[in-house]
Amino acid sequence: MPTQEVELDGVVRAMARMFDAYERVFAAGRIGRSVSRPRPVRRTGFDLQLRVVARDAVADDVVALTFAGRGGEQLPSWHPGAHLDVFLPSGRLRQYSLCGDPADRATYRVAVRRIADGSGSREIHDELAVGSVLRVRGPRNAFRLVDAPSYLFVAGGIGITPILPMVRMASARGVPWRLVYLGRSTATMPFLDELAACPGGDVVVHADDGDGFADVAAILGELHALPPVPDLYVCGPPALMDTARQLMRALDPRTPVFSERFSALPVVGGEPFTVELARSGRTVDVAADESALAAIRRVLPDVRYSCQQGFCRTCTCRVLDGEVDHRDRHALPDAERADSMLICVSRAAAGERLVLDL
Amino acid sequence: METYQDEAISITPRDVQFDWDDLSLHYIEGQPIATHITNVMHITLPEGERAMVQALSDALPLVNDDRLRDEMIGFIGQEEIHSTSHEDLHDHLDRQGLDTGPIVRKLEWLVDRAFNRPNLRGRARHAWLCERLALSAALEHYTAVMGQWVLDADALDGAVHPVMLDLIRWHGAEEVEHRNVAFDAYMYVDGGYFRRARTGVMASFLLLGIFAWATAHLYRNDPTRGEQRFWPFQLVDGIRKGLIPSGAHFFTEIPTYLRRDFHPSQMGPLDKALRYLAQSPAAQAAAAH
Repeated sequence: MPTQEVELDGVVRAMARMFDAYERVFAAGRIGRSVSRPRPVRRTGFDLQLRVVARDAVADDVVALTFAGRGGEQLPSWHPGAHLDVFLPSGRLRQYSLCGDPADRATYRVAVRRIADGSGSREIHDELAVGSVLRVRGPRNAFRLVDAPSYLFVAGGIGITPILPMVRMASARGVPWRLVYLGRSTATMPFLDELAACPGGDVVVHADDGDGFADVAAILGELHALPPVPDLYVCGPPALMDTARQLMRALDPRTPVFSERFSALPVVGGEPFTVELARSGRTVDVAADESALAAIRRVLPDVRYSCQQGFCRTCTCRVLDGEVDHRDRHALPDAERADSMLICVSRAAAGERLVLDL
Repeated sequence: METYQDEAISITPRDVQFDWDDLSLHYIEGQPIATHITNVMHITLPEGERAMVQALSDALPLVNDDRLRDEMIGFIGQEEIHSTSHEDLHDHLDRQGLDTGPIVRKLEWLVDRAFNRPNLRGRARHAWLCERLALSAALEHYTAVMGQWVLDADALDGAVHPVMLDLIRWHGAEEVEHRNVAFDAYMYVDGGYFRRARTGVMASFLLLGIFAWATAHLYRNDPTRGEQRFWPFQLVDGIRKGLIPSGAHFFTEIPTYLRRDFHPSQMGPLDKALRYLAQSPAAQAAAAH
């Protein structure tokens, strides 16, 4: 026990005694408890039931859905960059950025591109009609537009959805802005008309079919060869985001760069395996495309975790038996790798069954 | 029951790395006392933040609100990263002869003794959880106020070692970003005013006491103490130059926090904090991979 080794001083002892007295009065004592009446504040309304009130084709293979509360009630406010968790009729969960007007508290709008192998987008396109009711959670913001002297927005394809309300807000506030909007062809790029109606900045549209394959480096470099360097907001394919980020960093390493922040990443190259939870006496099957954490949460919803990317170590768990395929970002110290794992990313080694101290 | 009227701010930890190889003993140039006041954070925050993490983790099973749960889970991860990032500096401080071991061990002992009460059962145990949550909410009010202070303190630019400045501003900005979480968790689980008020006052004096106590320890161990000016002169000089806060917050924030309708969201816009997080070298290096 560390208690014996610690050399305590008067201050520390006095503070410890203060906590002891505090506990006797306010936690263990009846009078202390009677003057500490609970008055909890609890809220609802993170889960919403929304009705589709409009469905518009806004570009080739892109449909915009407008939602309203079932009773026409006022919806929670949001800032540009916010998204909704949408539960599709099949139960699938998808996240879509809000692309409507934040000042409109009666409706939300999202836009979805049909992706050949995307089961979520197929459902949106083929199965939802005006009048459909969906369960939605949010709005939540992981990409919020914040005050800055000037903005550069870079959008690739359907990545325009969170950017459109940002452009509108910059335009309305009179803050200088510029948008670089890349796509395959203008017919597939939604909201070109709405963007053209935003004063105070300019839109550089680059369509691969008319202008040739986009050299993002050249486009951005040409636009911002001179200071001051604007704040960058970028949304689109990962390669576009990386290129834009690197370019702005090269111009000025302290340029604020905003991109949407995600928590859990998809599992790549996973095999199914079984986890035995020794303390709770349960056994959980982990599917190939889910994390051990996701499977364990089905039976232990309050298990500790946070980043879901293998670096914060909140979910560190003792392994009592079985060999681990460690997939963390070397966050776990070497000394602990033999008998611990981060359950948010690490898995069982091929053919192994894991026994965890949970 | 009230309904949410605004969006949730997504709170998730950031994977940061700091390199301390060329950090000097007095990394606020010519300001030993200001440096040691900053060092107190490296020494005290890891234990304090872990105690808060434990309180919020223990409260999680009581919270049946997905929005608040998400925020609490994000808070827990952010605080874990804060703890380890500050702890990584202990080796550096020890190499400079500051001998942090004894004070860190005392704090560990004190925090453990203060927060963990394994003998409590039933209603007393729940009451103690409420006390821990209330104290966490109050301490988080001060970390958010200090966080905004370091974001606003322009005098720090150029005066503080750049990596250290990034550490304290990244940390400060995340404190501002998640400022409502411990408060909302307390309000959800208990919400009593008297409990919030007394822990609010307690947090103020606790922080003031710990800062004075730990700064004194570091100053006594500073190998260059003999060559320095008498410490009150240094203190006044650091405050006058805007390199350290005056400490007046520990008193002026009490009436703010004690207002019956207080909520952390009243503390001003998040913009500066979120903008710093988008430019922090440590946070952005991680975002790029």
